[in-house]
Amino acid sequence: MPTIRVVNLKKYFGKVKAVDNISFEVKDGEFVALLGPSGCGKTTTLLMLAGIYKPTGGEIWFDDQLMNNVPPKYREIGMVFQNYALYPHMTVYENIAFPLRAKKMEENEIKKRVHDVAKKLMIENLLDRKPGQISGGQQQRVALARALIKQPKVLLFDEPLSNLDAKLRMMMRAEIKKLQEDLGITSVYVTHDQAEAMTMASRIVVFSRGKIMQYGTPDEVYRKPKNIFVATFIGNPAMNLIRNLDYIKEKGKAFLVSENLRLELPEDVAKKIEESKNSGKFILGFRPEDAKIDQKESDMGFWAYVYVLEPLGRDLIINLKVIGTEELIKIFAEDEVNIKKDEKVFVKLQHGKIHIFDSETEELII
Amino acid sequence: MRLSFYQRNADKIRIFLFILIMFAITSPIILSYFWLILRSFSVDMKGFIPTQLTVKNWRFLWSEIKGYPNIWKTTLNTAFVAIMVMLFEVFMTSMGGYALSRFDFPGRTSMMKFILVLHAFPSVSLMVAIYYVLKYLNLLDNLWGIILLKASLETPWATWVMKGFYDGIPWEMEWAGLVDGYSRFQVWRKVILPLVKPGVAVTAVFAFLSGWSEFIFINTFIFSQEFWTLSKYVKATIGDFRFADYGLLSAVGVFYALPTIILFFFVSKYMIKLTIGGVKG
Ligand SMILES: Nc1ncnc2c1ncn2[C@@H]1O[C@H](COP(=O)(O)OP(=O)(O)OP(=O)(O)O)[C@@H](O)[C@H]1O
Ligand SMILES: [Mg+2]
Repeated sequence: MPTIRVVNLKKYFGKVKAVDNISFEVKDGEFVALLGPSGCGKTTTLLMLAGIYKPTGGEIWFDDQLMNNVPPKYREIGMVFQNYALYPHMTVYENIAFPLRAKKMEENEIKKRVHDVAKKLMIENLLDRKPGQISGGQQQRVALARALIKQPKVLLFDEPLSNLDAKLRMMMRAEIKKLQEDLGITSVYVTHDQAEAMTMASRIVVFSRGKIMQYGTPDEVYRKPKNIFVATFIGNPAMNLIRNLDYIKEKGKAFLVSENLRLELPEDVAKKIEESKNSGKFILGFRPEDAKIDQKESDMGFWAYVYVLEPLGRDLIINLKVIGTEELIKIFAEDEVNIKKDEKVFVKLQHGKIHIFDSETEELII
Repeated sequence: MRLSFYQRNADKIRIFLFILIMFAITSPIILSYFWLILRSFSVDMKGFIPTQLTVKNWRFLWSEIKGYPNIWKTTLNTAFVAIMVMLFEVFMTSMGGYALSRFDFPGRTSMMKFILVLHAFPSVSLMVAIYYVLKYLNLLDNLWGIILLKASLETPWATWVMKGFYDGIPWEMEWAGLVDGYSRFQVWRKVILPLVKPGVAVTAVFAFLSGWSEFIFINTFIFSQEFWTLSKYVKATIGDFRFADYGLLSAVGVFYALPTIILFFFVSKYMIKLTIGGVKG
């Protein structure tokens, strides 16, 4: 299985820069997700990997071979499209067999392979039907079978689960991951669902407006988001932000302050801020699970009003309004807390679990 | 509250009125066909009543009539023209429509606008120019001349129609074919063309019918009786220089319309099932 290397890849549609100078690498057998909001250039990138779009600039390498001018049929790729793109005039059997027919394979061998892959994906009983006569989830399996049958070296997925209901999506998520692990095929998986990317991929390319915001493991993009975009795009509920803070020093102690809010910073954090190149305005970020509710004031935190409670069964999400900034934040509550609406509480942040971004560049400082 | 007679039967009355109006609108056509068929089996008519039944008007089917070519030869000519026009058009529009729909070549938009203008242009006004072209090509008094003429005049518009069908096929269908290991041409033939079959069928039927019913060019550019088609045959029964034979005219007219009617019975059922340009699934 090849290593995919994308170098300074660009694709412009007239004035629209759909993909704007991106570089990343997918290792042999790795499962990488391209994650980003709608219209950020994920599909365009995938279609360039498949050889359907010609790049405006840049290079695509499979191992040591430059693929820019290689037509799709020589790339040995399997692809699952967003709406599956099954051929409506062919039966499921013919759909799955179609890639093998291109290779002029013997009919017996085709039959054997189609039945093998159909069995693996549990669609053997559907082989005689037309795509219009099977459900969305089944169509998805057929599309997967069609992509797998020729034993491709690279698998490309374009939001294959987005048309399925939530339950089926969770199930297929695990199934696709297992399949990819078993087969060890280098895979690129496009999605706009951060949960999908986090659970399935070994590394995630986070996209925004044709550019790469961050490339890292799920843990890295979650724990150390490089900028505000990644911080808020990944995680559900999103990371809490308190904007428009100034950095001051008093009596050897460092604080982030706004009009009515005063947050003392640990020494190492203060040092990082001082060393950094910054605009003088900062954004504080912390994850909903990294803060605690308390009744009395302690060293690092701020006061807030309880705004709304959202019970989720297992968890409780507390929505709070920060006193002084009126910013809304969400916090996962511990089971034992017993709080009421409009109550005034202290939000205690944890050392090492806060992120500070520059207001202007929105880049992470620490 | 009591409902009036009209209120109680409102739905039924409305449908009845609707049918009545529809019948009134279509009756001139229905009645004239009805008359035509009756007339072809009668010696003479008093209004809609045949005076005496006969099959003599249909004698052209089994015997030569003086001054007319053999009917079967003429029918064969007609079918030849219709089928050839159909083949030419299907061949050209199935490819041309794809190109118009999928390729972004320079001049594509102006070409499509031009096609629309061309279509609005009455071809009769080209008659003299066509005469010289056919003469130059040595295709006067030759059915091939008619075929090429018909096909070339109709291809632009039919290409436009086919483009509409191709536009309805999602790009992803095509990309899937490319990824599955086929060339663009193979994808067109194995994936895309089967999906626009309804369009091909529509184009074929209309091309066939237009070839079958062609009259003006035949009347103008065909001189020998051996190349006559049925439209010319019908025209001859009205006669410029002989006495109009209404019985013969009716019978030949019915004979001429028969294949068209039969074709519609077969195809209409098929065509209604298809939404224009749509592919399910
Ligand atoms: N053929 C095209 N012509 C012009 N612009 C295009 C074309 N294809 C895509 N674009 C533009 O390029 C940008 C990226 O499109 P792309 O389809 O890659 O987005 P995406 O990330 O896959 O979005 P989604 O999640 O909605 O599928 C969009 O702004 C889109 O409008
Ligand atoms: Mg997309």
